[in-house]
Amino acid sequence: MTLLNKNNEITQDMFEPAVMDSNESEVIAGKSTSFLKDSFQRLVRNKAAVISAIILLVIVALALIGPMMNKYGIDDQNVTRQNLSAKIPGLDKIHWLPFDGFENNVNLYKTQHAKADFWFGTDDLGRDLWTRTWKGTQISLFIAVVAAAVDLIIGVAYGGISAYFGGKVDNILQRIVEVILGIPNLVIIILMILILRPGLISIIVAIALTGWVNMSRIVRAQMLRLKSEEYVLASRTLGASHTRIISRHLLPNTLGQIIINTMFTIPSAIFFEAFLSFIGLGIKDPVASLGSLINRGFGVLQIHPYQVVFPGIVISLLLICFNILGDGLRDAFDPKLRQ
Amino acid sequence: MENILEVNDLHVSFETHRGEVKAVRGVNLTLQKGEALAIVGESGSGKSVTTRAIMGLLPKPAGRVKSGGVLFNERDLTKLSDKQMQRLRGSEISMIFQDPMTSLNPTMTIGKQIMEVIRRHQNVSRADAKNRAIELLGLVGIPNPEERIKQYPHQFSGGMRQRVIIAIALACNPHVLIADEPTTALDVTIQAQILDLMKDLQKKTNTSIILITHDLGVVANMAQRVAVMYGGKIIETGTVDEIFYEPKHPYTWGLLSSMPRVNSKNSELFAIPGTPPDLSNPPKGCPFAARCPHVMKVCTEVMPDYSAVSDTHQIACWLQDERAPKVEPPEEIQIGGDHE
Amino acid sequence: MVRYIMKRIVYMIITFLVVITFTFLTMQLMPGTPFKNQNHLSPEQLAQLKHFYGLDQPIPVQYIHYVGNALHGNLGGSFQFGMRPVSSILGEKAPISFDLGIEAIIVGAIFGILLGIIAGLRRGTALDYGATFISVLGISIPSFVLAVFMQYVFGVKWHILPIAYWKGFEYHIMPVVSLAVGVVANVARFMRTELVEVVNQDYITTARAKGISSFSVVFKHSVRNALIPVITILGPLTAAIVTGSLVIENIFAIPGIGSQFVDSIVTNDYPMIMGTTELYSALLIVMIFIVDILYGVIDPRIRLAGGR
Repeated sequence: MTLLNKNNEITQDMFEPAVMDSNESEVIAGKSTSFLKDSFQRLVRNKAAVISAIILLVIVALALIGPMMNKYGIDDQNVTRQNLSAKIPGLDKIHWLPFDGFENNVNLYKTQHAKADFWFGTDDLGRDLWTRTWKGTQISLFIAVVAAAVDLIIGVAYGGISAYFGGKVDNILQRIVEVILGIPNLVIIILMILILRPGLISIIVAIALTGWVNMSRIVRAQMLRLKSEEYVLASRTLGASHTRIISRHLLPNTLGQIIINTMFTIPSAIFFEAFLSFIGLGIKDPVASLGSLINRGFGVLQIHPYQVVFPGIVISLLLICFNILGDGLRDAFDPKLRQ
Repeated sequence: MENILEVNDLHVSFETHRGEVKAVRGVNLTLQKGEALAIVGESGSGKSVTTRAIMGLLPKPAGRVKSGGVLFNERDLTKLSDKQMQRLRGSEISMIFQDPMTSLNPTMTIGKQIMEVIRRHQNVSRADAKNRAIELLGLVGIPNPEERIKQYPHQFSGGMRQRVIIAIALACNPHVLIADEPTTALDVTIQAQILDLMKDLQKKTNTSIILITHDLGVVANMAQRVAVMYGGKIIETGTVDEIFYEPKHPYTWGLLSSMPRVNSKNSELFAIPGTPPDLSNPPKGCPFAARCPHVMKVCTEVMPDYSAVSDTHQIACWLQDERAPKVEPPEEIQIGGDHE
Repeated sequence: MVRYIMKRIVYMIITFLVVITFTFLTMQLMPGTPFKNQNHLSPEQLAQLKHFYGLDQPIPVQYIHYVGNALHGNLGGSFQFGMRPVSSILGEKAPISFDLGIEAIIVGAIFGILLGIIAGLRRGTALDYGATFISVLGISIPSFVLAVFMQYVFGVKWHILPIAYWKGFEYHIMPVVSLAVGVVANVARFMRTELVEVVNQDYITTARAKGISSFSVVFKHSVRNALIPVITILGPLTAAIVTGSLVIENIFAIPGIGSQFVDSIVTNDYPMIMGTTELYSALLIVMIFIVDILYGVIDPRIRLAGGR
């Protein structure tokens, strides 16, 4: 709408005072959103992170329902159907995919008179690898998540106390950390397992006991940064108690870093477990984990590569997706790192 | 007096994910030889962006000059390639920035940083460059220059770092020095020292200076002419006397009123109500219309043209139009009031 | 500065002492006895053997002996090699592992820095995403999965590289690459982050305002300053290489400390396990110390502020 008259001239009446509401110009364009909502929106715009999250959900879903999709258990042995390569009905006609049941141009299903199709093939004891792979994924994920949870609790507590109380407490706690850092993680884990005997619980304990150090350092660094921020000082001046300061000021602002670090601890735990299994210190047969499957498959790599390929792909995907998601979260929580 | 630098109808925009932000919307400036021109305005008014555009230092790829030109030595700087601009920067046009604590490379000695600009633009030996660097440090008032030349920035105080930065800027005797809020990050007493240094050097070298600031005290101290910027446009220019004693634009009145004075009768500080316009969606007419106490209907529709109050005093405001009512500037800033 | 170094050396020694103590305690907690065929021994023979090896002494005394010996380089005798000194076995195999490790670090660091610079300078472009993606792959895919994959493709299927042992240059390629990929990825990611941060600093704008060439701005100012913090990851990187070598040496049958360690675990050769642990720890501790000092020397802000 224009006030200019038909000739686009400015007329005298336009020089009358206009009523301006200065409050109008103070309306902030764009709604203000909370920090979490804002970060979430940024995360969603990161296509790679979103794809990774979807892939992860698919893998988790398969891990949960995969083993139930056919009638075989993880320990159903049947030597007559040993070392069959992977065959998926429907995809078996496409010969460049590894799902045709052939190996070295021999249709193993024919030669061994196997009546059923094994989607990921079978191992040397005739066990169904589809079920074993997904059950193994369950175990690997379980170990990783529990280990990450434990080291989150220990790490946050340790780092938080160290940062909050500072001074001598901080000094001592940090010296201890330095000593722990002086031994390669894996070596500690291996030694723990040797003492505790390999098994699910001991693996979780061993991984958790070494993983917390990293979390504690990050939490400590972040809290030290926050401690010197003015709003914390203001809060203390107003007489807030320790718990209040920790829970309302320090923790919420450290949450971002905690989440990010957890996102990276999980793949680390998966890696360690797989590694341990690979050198024989991990989950024992017949229970399977991704690492133990790769270990067993490695022995026959040259003749039956599929026994390594499928668990190898699953574990690689898990690790890649967690890392991309972790990266995405880091970018989402700290926009300064982007533009 | 000849013009050494001319900015003609400059438009600068930034591409952001929210759209195009028109930071500079048709700015005209002239800088005469040997003078100090102050550009005054709030943050977001476009003053820094204008000078970065002059220097060719707009952040790529987001920022670009959409139209208009910058004339220097008969060349349009906006049309030059980065390589060509590199030859001018530091040697013919120099720039110093606001925060001395972060403007120097922390891992390079002061000497190296000064010598770098000398050896880049002048064909001299290392020894000569070193001597020149020592000489420059002395010129800007750093004691023991032969010693300090081997030191690192963190071994200097804020004020001394700013002196070093000035030394670097003036090392090759540039024709123009652009100073973007050079004293804002410094203590008040150091501010005075730095300003004195700049005035002194200007007298000695006859360098033309563009001084960006939001501090009218600095303007009064250093400038001969003043350009007031708001919302990406220049709304008033004049000599420092004209701007301080005969300002004609309501925004300039607002600026002058908001300077706290020792002997003012009011106990409240004056602030212009409202906030600067959103330049991703710039207003149609005068950018100040939303906050102007004398706003008229025409102000929100059409951008006022420039009218001349005198040879040296230009203003873009509809109040200058003969059809507009006569308005007096607020009491506090009228002549005969409070000028010390 | 000198005081700082002295302080760090003391810490190093203390840390190492703690490590020795830790391994000693661990050894005590190991189930079973160290003797092979223990069931075939009569109780008297067992007691005699124990006495011979000083294993019947009270623990604190054993501890003192152990520490004393360790500090003199005597790490006990390996069980699986008939009590041959652990230190001599380690001494024989260590050079191979060091060789592998150093090659991996050098190759990894060079490519990592280059990749990081490309990604950092061309931020937001396809080159950046490509480089970052390669980084993520490198960090995520476990080195042993990659090693197995390479072994299969290059060794078994295509026959262009030898799949095991350490007898010549071509034997180095796959193991070093398997280890180096992780290094490349971590260094590249770190380098990129640092570079991006440096490029946004005010002093880079000052450098540009001085009219110096883009090349100089990039390399003499940006990259140089971004490289400095990258040194700090050399510590954790060494730990990662050690970890990785355990399995890489196994996969490629390389006669280094790593595969020996795994063998020792399988054969319950406790002195060997402990000795190797201590060697790894010593290496890591010294590495961390060197990195610390190096960083202090290179960054003038720390060097000239009188230490920490």
